[in-house]
Amino acid sequence: MREIFFPKRMWRPRGDLKRRYDVVIVGGGSHGLATAYYLAKHHGVKDVCILERSYIGSGASGRNTTIIRANYRTPEGAAFYRESVRLYERLSSELDFNLMFSQHGHLTLAHSDRGLVVAQERAEVNKLLGIRSEVIGPDRIRELCPELDLSDKPAYPILGALYHPPGGIIRHDAVVWAYARGADRLGVEIHPYTEVTGFERSGDRIVAVETTRGRVECGQVVSATAGWSSLVGKLAGLRLPITTHILQAFVTEPLKPFLDVIIVSSQLHVYVSQTDRGEFLIGAEIEPYTTYKSTGTLSFLEYSARHALELFPQLEKTKVLRTWTGLCDLSPDYSPILGKTEIENFHVSAGWGTYGFKAAPIVGVTLAELVATQKTPALIAPFALERFYTDTLVSELAAAAVSH
Amino acid sequence: MRLPPQPRERIDRSQRILFTFDGKVVGGYAGDTIGSALFAHGQRIFSRSFKYHRPRGLLCCSGHCPNCLMTVDGVPNVRVCVEPIRDGAVVEPQNVWGSLERDVLSITDKIGGPFTPVGFYYRTMIRPRRLWPVYEKVLRNLAGLGRLRKDGAGHTRYDVEHRRARVLVVGGGEAGRAAALAAAALGPDVVLVDETADLVGHELEGVEVLAPARALGIWEGGLVPVVAGSVLHRFRAERIVVAAGALDQPLVFPGNDLVGVMLPGGVRRLVRDFAIAPGSRAVVIAAGEEDLEIAGELREVGVAVPEVVDLTSTPARRIEAHGRKGRVAAVSVDGRKVDCDLVVASAGRQPAYSLLAQAGARVEYDESRGIFVPTNLPAGVEAVGSVTGEDCVTVDPVRTTKGAGGDKCFVCVCEDVTTKDIARAIDEGFDSIELAKRYTTVTMGPCQGKLCQLASIRLYAQATGVGEAAVGTTTARPPWAPVELGVLAGRHFEPARRTSVHFRHEEAGARMMWAGPWKRPYAYGERPEDEVRAVHDSLGVIDVSTLGKILVEGPEAADLLERLYPNRFGDLRPGRIRYGVLTSDAGRIMDDGTVARLADDLYYVTTTSTGADSVTAWFEWWNAVWGYDAEIVNVTGALAALNLAGPRAREALGRLVDDPDVVSAESFRYLDAKALVVAGVPCLALRIGFVGELGYELHFPSPAGEHVWDRLVAEGARPFGLEPQRVLRLEKGHIIVGQDTDSESNLLSAGMQWLPKMDKDDFVGKLALEHFAERPERERLVGFRMEEDVLPVEGAQIVVEGRPAGRVTSARRSEAVGGVIGLAWLPPDRAEEGTRFEVRVDRRLVGARVAHGPFYDPAGERMRA
Ligand SMILES: Cc1cc2nc3c(=O)[nH]c(=O)nc-3n(C[C@H](O)[C@H](O)[C@H](O)COP(=O)(O)OP(=O)(O)OC[C@H]3O[C@@H](n4cnc5c(N)ncnc54)[C@H](O)[C@@H]3O)c2cc1C
Ligand code: FES
Repeated sequence: MREIFFPKRMWRPRGDLKRRYDVVIVGGGSHGLATAYYLAKHHGVKDVCILERSYIGSGASGRNTTIIRANYRTPEGAAFYRESVRLYERLSSELDFNLMFSQHGHLTLAHSDRGLVVAQERAEVNKLLGIRSEVIGPDRIRELCPELDLSDKPAYPILGALYHPPGGIIRHDAVVWAYARGADRLGVEIHPYTEVTGFERSGDRIVAVETTRGRVECGQVVSATAGWSSLVGKLAGLRLPITTHILQAFVTEPLKPFLDVIIVSSQLHVYVSQTDRGEFLIGAEIEPYTTYKSTGTLSFLEYSARHALELFPQLEKTKVLRTWTGLCDLSPDYSPILGKTEIENFHVSAGWGTYGFKAAPIVGVTLAELVATQKTPALIAPFALERFYTDTLVSELAAAAVSH
Repeated sequence: MRLPPQPRERIDRSQRILFTFDGKVVGGYAGDTIGSALFAHGQRIFSRSFKYHRPRGLLCCSGHCPNCLMTVDGVPNVRVCVEPIRDGAVVEPQNVWGSLERDVLSITDKIGGPFTPVGFYYRTMIRPRRLWPVYEKVLRNLAGLGRLRKDGAGHTRYDVEHRRARVLVVGGGEAGRAAALAAAALGPDVVLVDETADLVGHELEGVEVLAPARALGIWEGGLVPVVAGSVLHRFRAERIVVAAGALDQPLVFPGNDLVGVMLPGGVRRLVRDFAIAPGSRAVVIAAGEEDLEIAGELREVGVAVPEVVDLTSTPARRIEAHGRKGRVAAVSVDGRKVDCDLVVASAGRQPAYSLLAQAGARVEYDESRGIFVPTNLPAGVEAVGSVTGEDCVTVDPVRTTKGAGGDKCFVCVCEDVTTKDIARAIDEGFDSIELAKRYTTVTMGPCQGKLCQLASIRLYAQATGVGEAAVGTTTARPPWAPVELGVLAGRHFEPARRTSVHFRHEEAGARMMWAGPWKRPYAYGERPEDEVRAVHDSLGVIDVSTLGKILVEGPEAADLLERLYPNRFGDLRPGRIRYGVLTSDAGRIMDDGTVARLADDLYYVTTTSTGADSVTAWFEWWNAVWGYDAEIVNVTGALAALNLAGPRAREALGRLVDDPDVVSAESFRYLDAKALVVAGVPCLALRIGFVGELGYELHFPSPAGEHVWDRLVAEGARPFGLEPQRVLRLEKGHIIVGQDTDSESNLLSAGMQWLPKMDKDDFVGKLALEHFAERPERERLVGFRMEEDVLPVEGAQIVVEGRPAGRVTSARRSEAVGGVIGLAWLPPDRAEEGTRFEVRVDRRLVGARVAHGPFYDPAGERMRA
């Protein structure tokens, strides 16, 4: 509140790079910034710098559709995201920045028998883990979202839904800025417009990081580069089982409150929410082809519009304001790749596909713990890169494909 | 009040049109827009601004700003300055509490300032946490412009047209017209689109004119969608010529948003097109000849113009507008105050480059002219006229940032962002234009930067001292102008596949459900169990035409299948059938079905109902890699398939073939495939037993679907649907791929260790299966019986020590077995026959026991009978 009348800088202006840092974090997105913040906050590790090729939040963190939820399918996944949602619920006050976490509930619609079974399974796993989640029928859906077309007119009538009351959306940039401010105030250095171009290795260790602004020696390295993970991994000599795709989204002109809950339909490949600013935020699945080219497609706009209108015919005259794309780093089992790698002091947060924003706080907490203690926290052990060698995958396909 | 007839006016004074505005009747002429008619009627305040609820009036009159957004016939956010007038339209102001003239919320403008600086919402309402939902509700209600009707389901008919053109010219100004005419002189198929109605009256020989119509962007492969009314034209053109012109740039000074401060283009339109005098006493502050000429034009129609300020000759000026009740009353220029009711203010014209930038062009700053110009145009795209920067120049739009009266200086009228906000953002550390955009939301409103991008970049450059070129522009994001979802969606069309017997199911009262892309009968009555009983006791028939059906033919067909499947198919004798499962490279189960060998070089493969296309693609892909001499043909749609099952199946089928002997137990054995003529229709008959009784799957040309169905039903076969089939197959312990398996399931853990032939040289997934065999198993798929008569949901969790340890994938109540049976994934150490485990059903743990093997007719005597 004070800062309303006495504005203060959010972070220091970018300074020169030092010769060495205990921890170098590559990627100034939500994950990199959160990791830095918790390193300083929980472990007193403050000799940390964040290297970001562009401005902070320029990657997927500033482009995502901010769905935050915990109703995953596997016990490993659900328990992990549950902790993240809990952290998010307290984050505005922890960081003293209003992140506008709008928890009005999340509905995954089922338009088929199969859809219902998948919903049931998720609900059952969730309930056991203490996550509020249940399968509801059309009558209850109507109470929560009277605007939805629940008649049998649509091609795919709605049979039921997985309802997850704590699900919500948040102001993504605010999360990035609040973590950046928090980290900066604890002494972490943030270096925007500083791209990592290579790593100097000595055996199984990284000794220095090369950047467009010179060379920096490092104790440990964290790569939190999402859509660029496999490229940054390659610079370090690490292969990651990741393909990179684009995901597109669009917003409409702002309108008065119409829709409180988030509506997701995997069958129609579309999801719709309304932000606190009043814009409808509409997105779809990732594009099936791999690319780093961030040009969107008209066909995306066309099919998303079509499917959004299947759910909400009232939006027919609502106007699309802008569309954009972001990169998504997809792992084979739709679960993240988190923690140690075969390079001793190089740790990753990757494989986030279309769902990593919700994980930022818990990734920050657990990776910071890993970096500070060198021990992998139990919560993230199932997501180790090693699982692709031991073939112990954690399949979230059924819960992550369109649901983000 | 209208001016005397103007030479190029668009109104037809002989045709009056009436509509209502805020409950009162307003009249205009044909050719008017709702906005022009309202203005002529005396309306000056058209909207209230987003944040401060300041009164706003017409600014651009070209559909590019937020100032004239109203609700028309229940549709919010309509730009009335370009919305054609129509009889009986119901026009209402939006986003006001009270009325346009007196909006209660304008209090935020008076006292809110200090409390609501840029980003104030990030700094407040944080504690206590439980109050946030309350604050949020208030915020949500304050935000948003118009209100959507909750029941207002759309009835507009939208259409899509696919168009080709040799040359597509976007923009019908002088340069665009010239380019179109030049192109037309060289050949046919030239299309000119323009978003205004200004082209009326121009001779454009050989050019197809589409107007008013808007090109939304230049997308993949030079695709240009053009919206004309409710039709989306998807253009592919050999050459795309962008002649989008330039956009008037507002000046930034205190009070620059007052009603009556307008852009030259808007003023011109009111006079020229609608014969309206936009004011009675005007001050013109502009740069460049063309914009200054507006003074003369205004005088010509009787508007007094006491002051004209040419910003190019006198660069540094302090400008400030003074208002009364939100309307401009005077303007001071360097301290000299001039009374007026209209201020035509412009910093010049900036090329409207966003279509080009979005198509991939670079945008560079031209220091000398103060504009951003597009360069490096992508192949096939050209630019002509003002969009290239021709005749464009801007002066520094930022004149004064603080007035004596302290009125706000708006950089962005859409989002109510002031110069103070920008300065504050920079001080707070948001020191790049992309960060600032996100923090202040400048350029993110309905105009998408058309009117505020340049000014905000200029302000940034000044404040940070780095220069415009270094500040750069923000990414151009399509569409060029807001576009209705409906027009993008086109006409609604969602295909569903139906089998050739579909209408028989409907006639029989079947409840239809989606099964992948197909519509299939769930059951024919309220009691699926009756249908189950019919199959067990007598005779049933189910339409299985949805099964994927693939012919694999050629000298090396056997080699191909041997390598695709973990099973062996090379040794399958012609006339015999074998169950097959396809695995991915990673050894995961992909699909299953039967494979019948019809001849040495011909196999007939069936897949799951959803797998037909993906399995065909999979076969083709691998065959392309391996290069076997084999052809793959997907015949799914060409053939119908009916499964006749039950103890009476043989007898019934015997009556429909010429010689009942061909279906005798000896000549047509279990897992035989045979060509038969059934009810006069040549069929491929497969003797298989998915539902556990004596059964024949008849495959035959689709057109005969209803005929064969009718004859089978006439023989006493009771139609059964998917639900009874699920019960029947579960009684046999048969899995359904995708239901009992997921993307991680493999053959070993799914209890089919017998299936893969690991001594084969190679098959897809072999390596992975070898690995699975070496590693400890994680889980296993087994059958189970519930101890009590409770039915767990599919997906129910198996709980060990309070934690999820496994899951139920299928469960049904079976009369034949007597109890609730199912399939479940369990930890290997709990998968032994008879092991007890607990399933969570409705908050309670219920006991169940592992039961291997089929529940019904374990020896399989009935299906082999
Ligand atoms: C359109 C869209 C919608 C989405 N919707 C959701 C959603 O609803 N819910 C959800 O939970 N998730 C969603 N996601 C996914 C989510 O946004 C990401 O998984 C998440 O933001 C990843 O965060 P990050 O901090 O790891 O990555 P990023 O924010 O991408 O940060 C990585 C950073 O690394 C930087 N970088 C890359 N290479 C280098 C280098 N060599 N040197 C220096 N810096 C480098 C990049 O510039 C970037 O800033 C969505 C994604 C997209 C694209
Ligand atoms: S005045 Fe209508 S859009 Fe500008």
